[in-house]
Amino acid sequence: MRAIDWALLSTFLPLATALLLVLVSPLRRTGLGAGLVSVVSAVATFVGAVMVLASRFGAEAGVVHRTIQWLPHSALGGVAHGRGAIELGVHVDGISATMLVVVTFVALCVQVFSIGYMAEEPKADFGRYFTWQSLFLFAMNSLVIAPNLLQLFLGWELVGLVSYLLIGYWWKKPSAARAALKAFWITKFADMGLLAGLIVLFLATGTFDWTVTTAAAGTVTLLLFVAVMGKSAQFPLHIWLPDAMEGPTPVSALLHAATMVAAGVFLVVRAFPLFEQAPNTLTVMAYVGSFTALFAAVVAVVQTDIKKVLAYSTCSQLGYMVCALGAGSQAAGFFHLTTHAFFKALLFLAAGSLIHGVHSNELSHMGGLLKKMKVTSGAFIIGSLALAGVPGLAGFFSKDLILEEVLHRGLWAPLGALLVAAFLTAFYMGRVMWVALLGEPSEHAKHAHESGPSMLAPLIGLSVLAIGVGYFGGTLSGLYGEPVHFHLSAIGIVATVLGLSGLGISYWMFGAPQGGKAILEAFAPVGRLARSGAVNGFFAWSYRSVMTRVAAAIGWFDRYVIDGLINGIAYGTLEAGSRLRVIQTGRVQDYVYVVVAAMLLIGLYGAFWGR
Amino acid sequence: MPTADDLRPLAVDLALLGATLMLFAVDLGLPHGRKRWLGVLSSALLAGLFVLTFFVDTEGSAFGGSYVGGAWPLLFKRIALAAGALAALGSVDHVDRHFPTRQGEFYLLMMFSLMGMTLLPGARDLLLFVVAFEMMGIPLAMMASYAKTEDLKGVHRHAAEAGLKLYLISAVSTAITLFGLSYVYGLTGSTRLDVIAQAPLSPLLGVGMMLTVAGMSFKVGAVPFHMWVPDTYQGAPTPFVAFLSVAPKASGFAAMTAMLLVAFKNNREQVLSVVLLMSLASITIGNLLALPQKDVKRLLAYSGIAQVGYMLIGLVAGGSYGVGMLLFFVSGYVATNMGAFLVLEAIAPQRTGITLDDVKGLSRRSPWLAAALLLFLLSLAGIPFVVGFWGKLMVFMAAYQAGYGWLVLFGALMAIVSLWYYLQVARAAYMGDAPTEEVVPVKVTPTLATAIAVCLTLVLGMGAYPRPFIEQASAAARSFLGEAP
Repeated sequence: MRAIDWALLSTFLPLATALLLVLVSPLRRTGLGAGLVSVVSAVATFVGAVMVLASRFGAEAGVVHRTIQWLPHSALGGVAHGRGAIELGVHVDGISATMLVVVTFVALCVQVFSIGYMAEEPKADFGRYFTWQSLFLFAMNSLVIAPNLLQLFLGWELVGLVSYLLIGYWWKKPSAARAALKAFWITKFADMGLLAGLIVLFLATGTFDWTVTTAAAGTVTLLLFVAVMGKSAQFPLHIWLPDAMEGPTPVSALLHAATMVAAGVFLVVRAFPLFEQAPNTLTVMAYVGSFTALFAAVVAVVQTDIKKVLAYSTCSQLGYMVCALGAGSQAAGFFHLTTHAFFKALLFLAAGSLIHGVHSNELSHMGGLLKKMKVTSGAFIIGSLALAGVPGLAGFFSKDLILEEVLHRGLWAPLGALLVAAFLTAFYMGRVMWVALLGEPSEHAKHAHESGPSMLAPLIGLSVLAIGVGYFGGTLSGLYGEPVHFHLSAIGIVATVLGLSGLGISYWMFGAPQGGKAILEAFAPVGRLARSGAVNGFFAWSYRSVMTRVAAAIGWFDRYVIDGLINGIAYGTLEAGSRLRVIQTGRVQDYVYVVVAAMLLIGLYGAFWGR
Repeated sequence: MPTADDLRPLAVDLALLGATLMLFAVDLGLPHGRKRWLGVLSSALLAGLFVLTFFVDTEGSAFGGSYVGGAWPLLFKRIALAAGALAALGSVDHVDRHFPTRQGEFYLLMMFSLMGMTLLPGARDLLLFVVAFEMMGIPLAMMASYAKTEDLKGVHRHAAEAGLKLYLISAVSTAITLFGLSYVYGLTGSTRLDVIAQAPLSPLLGVGMMLTVAGMSFKVGAVPFHMWVPDTYQGAPTPFVAFLSVAPKASGFAAMTAMLLVAFKNNREQVLSVVLLMSLASITIGNLLALPQKDVKRLLAYSGIAQVGYMLIGLVAGGSYGVGMLLFFVSGYVATNMGAFLVLEAIAPQRTGITLDDVKGLSRRSPWLAAALLLFLLSLAGIPFVVGFWGKLMVFMAAYQAGYGWLVLFGALMAIVSLWYYLQVARAAYMGDAPTEEVVPVKVTPTLATAIAVCLTLVLGMGAYPRPFIEQASAAARSFLGEAP
């Protein structure tokens, strides 16, 4: 089989699985049976994706671009230039091959994990869940292999639709149903930017290809970026992401860490030839991305729900990617997408395992889990360290690459924001680690027990990648452009120092009293200094009165102002609807008055222009 | 004297007349208790006629140019016939249950109304226009009030109101249209559209043209002539509403395009500015007023008003592309909206008013109906893979190309508002608790199920492979405007 066949297999096998589960309801209702079918199909899908990626290193490594015409030029009103047809098909190159592997691997891990995590669900719901998982994989893969932006848009919309179903999986919880609607509505609002961008692009160039050169690139890319802001949760359209944590945790790992939210960044990576023609859009992206990175990191500091911390962290990391792309580096942005997908999915799944253990999302309900849940805690620590940018782990390489690119472009303000965000990231992840894993065990945590093998296996698999994938940056970027070569730069050292100090400070604030005495003694001199009253007091004071307050204030601003503003618009629209109802009186004489009045006005207008 | 050639463009209409007479004869002969077969028969006849349209040659013009055939009217005839066949099939059980002694009349009225609809797209003479319009409209008012209060005590009390409102507003609109037409005739001395097109512009002609077009927009239910729509939809029998919400709209648009692009083609810019305003008002009012609705039929009524606003965008864009995509949009809308109303009929066949509470828990009562309803709603909202998406996309592309980028933006933003209320219904179906503890499965009669299945197939099929439909529509539009195919 050739690359194109494997790509098609990876796309349509999940669709076939979903259809099978939809149509054969006895199979769906067995629950576990449906899950196993879905997992087997996900394995085959992953194998297909790996074969696609392998083909990039083989003899037929060239770009494969195969399309069929869906709507001919003539059906589109004879747009002036170009071929102007709507085509669907497959595009295999380094970018789509890499993304395909990322998506299918994370999806596979999440599905295996879900078998254990969702085991207590009613059987029919369990089957329904796996049906949607398979459908999601189809939607996402059809987006990834899209040969043009129109197909990408179709996949994009389908992804949004399935995510609505998955977030609202626990529809009996009103908050889940609301969150699902909100996520759908806001991303849908942003999607209109993509649709508008496509229309402008098509009418300007007669094609939906991302390779065209056009004077309209500025408008098109700005419109596309609106969609990116919605899907990839960039300020101020990020507000749906924390709410979406109402869905099952594996769903958050799949959608809100690795795949769906990354689709926005993927769109920019994919359409980078267009974005390169629009330097102004790139600048906007650099600023929006870096601001989101900083803003979300600050808010993450004060969250008490482990999933909310991870959600804001995802916003923040997506900000990094957007900023990197805005700095003009396709490779840095896409590489960070790759590494982030693995370690953030790992974090979400490990968090899910912790939640499974203590039956609560609250950090205060955890504590001391390291002893009870060794494998999960180990995985969570690996993920956290990778996210914090500890040298040697995946996040370190990609973050360093981004910072270097931003520095190289001389974007000073974004660079500063990213560096502060790097410090905060390490700090809040450190906080979660110390509180949840070490800390004083709470009532809930006392009865915690390690999760079953189906939940641990994916954690181990993802851990390996969260450690290892960073070393393949050069190989992967070589697939679609100049391979980037990693070298430790000055800015990288600064970021590393910031990250390590973030971890250290958080340890000193949240971890020191309970565990880790040995570490403390190893750094005895530092420890002595740290325990000395003045320094202690200074840090305690600065944390309590400055940092938490600032973070809480920004968190409040996010919750009530940004969120409130968007809710306000929605509420205002609904209110306008209610107010307008009075014009529909139900009295037929009023209707006749309206008709006659309108006719009079229209008639007068006609007389006026007929003069 | 009419010759045989004159009759060729009328082939479908004459066949429809024959079918109507046949139905009438069968009704006389059929004993009571067997009357439900009339619905099946009329549906079969209409479906047969629909198939016939693919085999007849209707090119040419009749009666000295007063009536024309060709691809454009033929496509509208097809839409009307398909809508009629589906609506008759969906009505069989409702009519049999609620009006067992008045079944024949119901289908005959529907056939008469359909005859008006098939005549309208080919009419190129003012008199023929008015006659066809009334032929289409008066039976509709009668059918709207068909559920008289005596049938089920107290339950159908909206029926008379539904019919009366439709009739009164219809009468006012027709009066105003006729008033406008009298000016047009007086100033041009002709009732033929192509002659009217040559007349020089004057204030009185302006009044006449405006009033004509405005009066016609009543049938499609555009703002400000929309107020009958929710009240009538709420009170009339649901399968009839399925028919009313689609078929007269298609023919109304046929009439409006003929008026705008044939009779007023030299002065269309000013008329279009009024159409543009109506489009904006329809999209705004329809979408906003749908938001607070708790009655699903009223909600779909307002959604229909908004959809008309989107169709008017195609008219505003103009050109063969604009009207062609309008036609495509309408054909997708027919299948979608008809399907949505038929699902409502399946959920609550006993009542005319259906609230969100009635829809709650549908996914457990009948997964297939819930899935069908979801797809129809997604199509109305314009989500990809169902026909509504292509319709909106094409109309938007036409408008953008014609220089109405801001209108596209406005329409797209309001489409997001529409998502809210469509999802309210979907949410009730999938995520709401059923009103009762036990899950009562919905029993769908075979005829109704067939009609819904056909609608669903069309919505999915046209969504997955829209090409032939778009090509047909553009070809028809080009032939209508006399452009090279």
